[in-house]
Amino acid sequence: MTELERALVALGNELEFPPTPDFWPRVGERLQRRRWVRPLVFAVALGALALGVAMAVPPARSAILRFFHLGSATVQQVAKLPPAQQRPLAAGLGPALVREDAEMYAHLGIRLPKGVTPQRFYAQPGLIATYLSYGGKPVLLSELKGDQTVLFKKFASPATSVQPVDLGEFGLWLVGGPHVLMWQFNFGRIHRVETRLAGNVLLWLDKDITYRLEGDLDKSQMLALARQITR
Amino acid sequence: MHAYQGIAFRTAYVIARNAADAEEAAQDGFVKAWRALGRFREGAPFRPWLLQIVANEARNRVRSAGRRASLALRAATEESSGGAAPSPEAALLSGEQRAGLLAAVNSLPEEQRTVLSLRYFLGLSEQEVAETLDVPLGTVKSRTARALERLRESYD
Repeated sequence: MTELERALVALGNELEFPPTPDFWPRVGERLQRRRWVRPLVFAVALGALALGVAMAVPPARSAILRFFHLGSATVQQVAKLPPAQQRPLAAGLGPALVREDAEMYAHLGIRLPKGVTPQRFYAQPGLIATYLSYGGKPVLLSELKGDQTVLFKKFASPATSVQPVDLGEFGLWLVGGPHVLMWQFNFGRIHRVETRLAGNVLLWLDKDITYRLEGDLDKSQMLALARQITR
Repeated sequence: MHAYQGIAFRTAYVIARNAADAEEAAQDGFVKAWRALGRFREGAPFRPWLLQIVANEARNRVRSAGRRASLALRAATEESSGGAAPSPEAALLSGEQRAGLLAAVNSLPEEQRTVLSLRYFLGLSEQEVAETLDVPLGTVKSRTARALERLRESYD
């Protein structure tokens, strides 16, 4: 840096800037007013249309061998998995945020196990997620509002087991074999799908919220963690 | 995003040179950034992405009529030039030199003044300046070089 550049930096420290106003509360008010329902209604309509078409066409009917619908999630067994790669658990969920910002963006307060205070949260409209640690292993907790499908789980291998579990109103435990997670997000006219390979998953519905835990835990560990969240 | 209120407001102020416009631009920029958060490219630096949205809002306001202020020195700085010992950074410049250099900055063409202000007054990197102003890095470098050349005459 030249002397002139150093002089400019020094000058910058001596400048009179107006004090920064606290405009965050006003931003919050405007965001609270925002209509987030419309894109989700669009997603439901799209999902219903896609499902209708899929079930009406014989080859498609055989391609979707069976499916479970659980709150905001749909679990499908398909003849062939869509292409997907290993990615971080929070891939596709946007930048890391502090809890307050994430809850504001998601329009959803997150429920956490008692005594757990994660630092990084991820949010999309109607969805909030964070990393937990259980037995030293990372687990992604996601919570989704309402029953609009934004999450698709696809598996093809007979090695994948899908078992109902006694958790909340209804729960599913998915383990074994490769399976693919697809987040489907809609922002006005922009439709975005994030895909990755997923690990062991526990899904359950409780009081209109779909909960999802994913990580390298066994069923009993996952259930123990889940019961700390919704009791 | 809380953490970026200060830098967002100052970025808007450097461009709009009007506190009311800067506040509006920063606020609108934050709202737009929130709504576009899902389109934010994962792994990309967040600050310049946010500042680019705020800077766009500020530029839109510059096009409208309104009083535009020049950057000014703090009153205490001007008064202290003959009084208490200045900070090591401030000691680089005498009171007269500070005023002269600032006048020279204020008289630069807007594009050069904005690049210089973001780079040296707000401490953004060249890459961040480029992303904030949505111009190529080379443009930031050339505008900076031209501005420094013009200032050198005033400073030397």
